[in-house]
Amino acid sequence: MARKVAAVAGGLTYFSKARRDKTQEELAAEAARMALFDNDIDLGKDEIDGTIVSYFSDHFENQLLFGSIIQDYLGFNPKPSVRIEGGGATGGLAVRDAYAHVASGLLDVAMVIGFEKMSEVNTAKGNEFIALASDTDWDFPIGGFYSGYYALMARRHMEEFGTTEEQMAMVAVKNRNNAQHNKFAQTNPKMNPFGMKDGGKITVDDVLKSPYVAFPLKRLDICLMSDGAAVLILASEEKAKKITDTPIWITGTGAGTDAMRAGDRPRTLAGVPILPHENKQWYKKLEYPGVHSFRAGRESARQAYKMAGITNPLKQLDAIELHDAYTSSEIQTYEDLGLAKYGEGGKLVEDGVTAINGDLPVNPSGGLIGTMHAVGATGVMQAVEMFWQLQGVAGKFHGSDKTQVKNAERGLIHSHAGTGTYVTASIMER
Amino acid sequence: MTEVYSMDPLIIKTPYEMSYKHSYGKTSKFFTSLSAGKLMATRCDHCKFTFLPPRADCPYCLAETKWVEISGKGIVHTFSTLYFSGEKFLKDLPFQLVYVELEGVDTLFLTRLKIKDKNSTKIGMKIKMKISREPEWRSSDVWAEPED
Repeated sequence: MARKVAAVAGGLTYFSKARRDKTQEELAAEAARMALFDNDIDLGKDEIDGTIVSYFSDHFENQLLFGSIIQDYLGFNPKPSVRIEGGGATGGLAVRDAYAHVASGLLDVAMVIGFEKMSEVNTAKGNEFIALASDTDWDFPIGGFYSGYYALMARRHMEEFGTTEEQMAMVAVKNRNNAQHNKFAQTNPKMNPFGMKDGGKITVDDVLKSPYVAFPLKRLDICLMSDGAAVLILASEEKAKKITDTPIWITGTGAGTDAMRAGDRPRTLAGVPILPHENKQWYKKLEYPGVHSFRAGRESARQAYKMAGITNPLKQLDAIELHDAYTSSEIQTYEDLGLAKYGEGGKLVEDGVTAINGDLPVNPSGGLIGTMHAVGATGVMQAVEMFWQLQGVAGKFHGSDKTQVKNAERGLIHSHAGTGTYVTASIMER
Repeated sequence: MTEVYSMDPLIIKTPYEMSYKHSYGKTSKFFTSLSAGKLMATRCDHCKFTFLPPRADCPYCLAETKWVEISGKGIVHTFSTLYFSGEKFLKDLPFQLVYVELEGVDTLFLTRLKIKDKNSTKIGMKIKMKISREPEWRSSDVWAEPED
């Protein structure tokens, strides 16, 4: 029988296009220090039993086995450590792996250390490195890169369901403007000393007028590239109750996968895996997943909901941090998570349901569009954000009460790699 | 000599080059058939499923697949015009990528669409695959053009 597992502490760095002031390991130390010293806990560093190290690329720093350097730099030798990598879902997979380590009894207290430093190569080269996480025999040599792949999927979503560029722009505005109350956010020059000078609030019009990167996606529809780190500490039930009065339990976790080449994914009539609150009749004419939806996202949610006993996510969840690599993929993810019917994700944001003051706030932190996408740190950041939300201390850490979701008791974190190749979803509860 | 970018903090420039001897393995035939003007895909007779890009092994039943020739005719399933790319392709911008539904193929194939008026690209538009006469032995040796 798996043991109960709780998050007990979290820490983040300021995120930035380029944190040239620190090395990657120094950024990890900045986040680890916050996790150990700025949370209300009774936990010494020596009580950490092992680490799960989360980073995506060996290319950005041209250094292999960086996990060992981190383990040494943070002073955890000779304790166990493992590196987790799964593209954009690296962080979510690392949190899930740490959960498994603690639930199984391999570790009592585990530290997840997520980081990425993407600034040491230029942006086009960085995009090329990320594109190497697509099929390099077939999809990359024709000029493929991730914004292009997601644009193709977004255009098909528009065709299938009538989703509009305006609805996508609303996602960008929501997340970017949430980030203006989070001091860690890259687009927040007022509160983040390393923030983008041309950051700040945006409007739907700003998004629609920003230049196309890959039609229908425009510059402001697309997430950031970042330097930074995030650290989360998980503990077994017995340890967690000694460490903190407000442990946040991980009550469900799921993971799904799909073909690297999105074109290889099935287009099965009525092929949607149905969630408990859904009716099979809704999707009898829909070819699924095709390139319009993320089957891995649906699968990860299905497992996590089952494990946590969630039968109506829109009603039973109070907040979500999801992988908004693109505004289109946030809308697609609403549907995968069963927050809206397939095809009605765009309407969810239009109706304000996912706004910070809506029925189910999504990305109150600012997400990947407003706050950061330092790939290996991203899924860990989402877990830290949800941990603080559920403890009710988001305002204290963010430097503004405006990001705190009132009375949030249960939340979902969602981490996603390359056009939905790997996706994880986990449920956290007070 | 090491190029210094900044002194505080000290930032140096480190060039790095690599050349791989990359094997296409059993999918080599796709590329070598192009010079004979043939567009080849692979088919699993057991699952009745045809793959392009080709797979030597069927992911559904793990049987070995066989080669079949396809017409290269099809329609646009979805498209995007790219105005930015990885470093290697910046020189080609802007260009269009399309997923195409090809006759006799069950997967969607990602390729470039070469078209005079990019604004005229539409989902459902008829296309025909073209083959380069100067092979680079890459997937860019084939592309789609509108079928008039």
